Amino acid sequence: MSAGGFAGTGLVKRFSRGAETVTALAGVDLHVDAGELVALVGPSGSGKSTLLALLCGWETADEGRLSYLGPLAGRSPVSLGWPELALVPQALGLVADLSLADNVLLPARLRGTTAAEEARAGALLTDFRVDHLADRYPHQASLGEQQRVAVARALLLRPAVLLADEPTAHQDRDNADRLLDAVGAAARAGAAVLVATHDELAWARADRVLSMRDGSLTDGPPA
Amino acid sequence: MSRPPLWRLAPWTRAPLLGLRQPAAVIAVLVTSAILACAVASAPLFLSAARSAALQQQLSQRCEEVARPQTGVDSALVDEQGRPQDGGDGSTRPAADESLLEAWADAGLDAEPVLATARIGSSEPFSPGIEVLGPDGAALSQPFTLFQRPAALDHVEVVDRGSGAGVWVPETVAGQEGLSVGDVLSFGDQRAPVAGVYRDLAVANADDRYWCDHRLLFSNEASANRAPPAVLLTTDEPTFYRLATASLGGAVRLQQVPVDASALSVSGVRRLLETQQRLIADSGLPLPDRTSSAPAVAVPNDRLAAVVDRAQLIQSGLRGPVVPVAVAGALLALVLVAAAGSFWADRRATEVRLLAARGVGPVPLAGKAALELALPALAGAALGWTASRLLIAGLGPADDLDPAATTVAAWAGAAAFVVGLGAASVVAGLRARSTAERPLGTAARWPSRVPWELLLLVAAAVCWVLLQSREAIVSVGHVAQVNGLLVAFPLLAIAGTAVLLGRGVIALLPRLRRWAGHRSPAVFLAVNRLTAARLATGTLLVAVTLPVAVLGYTATLTASSQTTLDAKVGVQIGAAAAATTVTRIEPTAEVVAAGTYLLRYDGSAAEGAAADSTTRGRPDVQVLAVDPADFAGTAFWDDSFADASLPDLMAALRGPEVDGRLPVVAAGLSLGDPDLRLGSTEVPAQVVAEARVLPGRRTADPVVLVAADRLPEIERSAGAARSAELWVREDLSGAVDALAGAGAMNIRTLDPAGVQERANFLGITWTFGYLSALAVFVGVIAVGGLLLYLEARSRTRVSGYVMARRLGLTRAAHLRSLVVELAGVAVVGSLLGGALAAGAVALVYRRLDVDLLRPPTPLLDVPWSALAGSVVVVLVVAGLAALYAQRAADRADPASVLREDA
Repeated sequence: MSAGGFAGTGLVKRFSRGAETVTALAGVDLHVDAGELVALVGPSGSGKSTLLALLCGWETADEGRLSYLGPLAGRSPVSLGWPELALVPQALGLVADLSLADNVLLPARLRGTTAAEEARAGALLTDFRVDHLADRYPHQASLGEQQRVAVARALLLRPAVLLADEPTAHQDRDNADRLLDAVGAAARAGAAVLVATHDELAWARADRVLSMRDGSLTDGPPA
Repeated sequence: MSRPPLWRLAPWTRAPLLGLRQPAAVIAVLVTSAILACAVASAPLFLSAARSAALQQQLSQRCEEVARPQTGVDSALVDEQGRPQDGGDGSTRPAADESLLEAWADAGLDAEPVLATARIGSSEPFSPGIEVLGPDGAALSQPFTLFQRPAALDHVEVVDRGSGAGVWVPETVAGQEGLSVGDVLSFGDQRAPVAGVYRDLAVANADDRYWCDHRLLFSNEASANRAPPAVLLTTDEPTFYRLATASLGGAVRLQQVPVDASALSVSGVRRLLETQQRLIADSGLPLPDRTSSAPAVAVPNDRLAAVVDRAQLIQSGLRGPVVPVAVAGALLALVLVAAAGSFWADRRATEVRLLAARGVGPVPLAGKAALELALPALAGAALGWTASRLLIAGLGPADDLDPAATTVAAWAGAAAFVVGLGAASVVAGLRARSTAERPLGTAARWPSRVPWELLLLVAAAVCWVLLQSREAIVSVGHVAQVNGLLVAFPLLAIAGTAVLLGRGVIALLPRLRRWAGHRSPAVFLAVNRLTAARLATGTLLVAVTLPVAVLGYTATLTASSQTTLDAKVGVQIGAAAAATTVTRIEPTAEVVAAGTYLLRYDGSAAEGAAADSTTRGRPDVQVLAVDPADFAGTAFWDDSFADASLPDLMAALRGPEVDGRLPVVAAGLSLGDPDLRLGSTEVPAQVVAEARVLPGRRTADPVVLVAADRLPEIERSAGAARSAELWVREDLSGAVDALAGAGAMNIRTLDPAGVQERANFLGITWTFGYLSALAVFVGVIAVGGLLLYLEARSRTRVSGYVMARRLGLTRAAHLRSLVVELAGVAVVGSLLGGALAAGAVALVYRRLDVDLLRPPTPLLDVPWSALAGSVVVVLVVAGLAALYAQRAADRADPASVLREDA
């Protein structure tokens, strides 16, 4: 895993909704270092998912500057591969036509390293207690199980940057702890981790908490 | 006033508007309903078009007068005392004729009189002739027929003309009898001058359409030795009536209505025939009856009714194979409509799941679907009906469709709408309900595991067994018809086997998936997509297999039957065309240059030792004395006719005689070396080569080819029936001219169109044409199914693609995976379809003998180019579909896709 982090300065993102213009991000300043686990909290619609989409390159900022640090410096988010930037989207993004095990292994398969990562994929499935569902398709598993598979897929190649949008939203407490343990371990191993969450126990495990409201970001938990 | 919000509208108003909010589902239902309506409505329209085409095709081959409704009177023109009925010289148009002409005018149709002292205007022309005295009072040496028709003198070649009323005589008669213009002829107690001399119609006007229906008045095609009575053309009606009254005391007088035969439909002809029948009934004249001796009988056009009956017969013969084909097409289309209903449930998944979760059952959900889909289904049905009308009119056998058929088709389209909407709604309701009720991870329900397609195979087997005891091609009233079993069997077998094979391929998909685990990402993703949606994959595979198989089957059988038919016609004629004459001529240089000249003898044969002096027990043999130098270059030949080539057979005719026996090539001769007998001339022969079929075989009798220059001279006194024939590759008129130039009379011609018309193979051609149309139709269904397959899976594909791009999948690899996925199904479907078609053809084609009486037996002709074109179309469609799916994936917004698609 290569160490890295990322920083954003004055990030602004607006959307058109008919004649109305909605400002999703209103000048966000952000910095997450390698080895740091940061929790991003805030009510629904506050701009958390938009910020994550911007960080992974699915959206572009209307204003401001986003940069990746360390070995990733100078690269655009779109150019970053899964080992550099992995994510767990809110909708999970599992490939419906692949089994859960194949979903976890897909990043390795696309790089031609399937054999090398098979053991780790199996271990992740076991750790997240979905190994017995390995041959099932996503629609044959519960939403919580699918979510754990999505996190396993994100962790498979030990990414330098990990973005996770509500990774414990569909989990019971025990499984949520397992996921947070794994995410925390990734951070301790040097990854820069940003987790958008409503889970207050997740805040407690984070190195820092950032609060988002109406597109603006402040340090510390919400009041 | 503003419109109230959608949720406040009544359900029957709200539902259609809600439905329109799902354009993809609307288009799916509209298109599939159109396909269903097109399939259902096309059958009655096709049958009507076929009937019209059969009618017009028959009429186009016949004289124009066959299409004309007519009345007519065959009666005496004198009273019981032998005096003219008009009380004068008999020149007045009889009252019966006048009233019939007026009756036609009252019916809104203009009829023209055609008069003759011969039986004309019916299927049995006959003329015994009348006696005429010359200027010197002596009877002329030959009998005559008086003939009168408007503008007749405009359709003769004038040799000499005078002025005033009288009769025109043929040039040869004038020469033989020493007649010239102005000479007075006597007809009973009436006299008339020779008003003109015309070139004999048989020489100058043999091909004039004007004389077509009266050809037998001047041409006896059955014999060169017995000329019909000479035709005297009267200059006007009064002269005809006067002379006919005086000479024969009676005549046939027709009132014919000119019509445009090329624009007639069966219903139009029926109306004309009804008018004809009514006018004859009103006239009080009895119809001709051989057993009665009524003084006056009606002369209706019985040939037109026969043509209509024949067209009806061809239509009836088509109904057997066409209806099962239409039903099969409709069932396939119905499946597609039902799939569109399922697609609607997918598109409305959020709402119907919520409703189902709140306890709404499948029946109300189906009702909701029906209300939402009614408008597009109705529009689709109307579109399908219109399309079927345009397709049949544009591509069918004829563009003249009976109004009744159009009405039936409209009702069929309405029924298709009701049934289609019902099927779509029921499936939508069940699908919506099952989506909500089905627990995660449950196994497939048992009905999906039952091989229902075995029922199709059992039905196919029953058809096959039944077919073993019946003719595949039957001839009803000399009209060749395809047995419906011959159509039903392969369709059922192909459909059943295709589904069974599809099920087998589905069963193999997990193994394929394991194999793909070690392949490139493109192959891996493609195979996993196919494996994940096994039912959709199997359906798509069957949807590709079916049209390829049906098209391969029908195209091969159509090509084979056409090749066989061409071969039969070629064998029948002997070459591309032929001109024949019974006149004994010496072939001129023009004759030799025009084609290959040969003599045909009706002979008999006996095996050398068994020969005796009588012909009893000797089989008849057709002996063709040919020129080996040019026969092979002109004669029709197919390599399946013999083990040796035709040039080799001709070379064998050049071989040496053995024991004084002439070398011959024989076909169908079961004897050893025969002693041929041509009339009273014996010709010992030795069979130097045999063929299964030889060109020029027109009867069941064996055919023997012999070199003309080695055959002994067969004198006229030998009594052998002989005809001279000139076979050509293309220029038939040149052959006729060459024979006429050599002095031949009564030249008959043989060409493919005439032979095929007599054989009436139209029904067979159209049956396979309709089957081919079904294959194309199924192909359209397959394309529709493919689009539904893509659309139904577009959400999972797009979200998977978006995420996979983030994971490292390239756009090119994804496009390759789509191509592998869709082209893979297309290739496998094409291979399976090709194999099924080959199997069906192998089982059936030998039984497809369109004419058992004429050789050769069925020939196989695989239309490779058409089949290759079909496969190319399949692959191109698959490629375009892959591009379409890639484009849809490219246009997706990753952020929104992965935010909403939870």
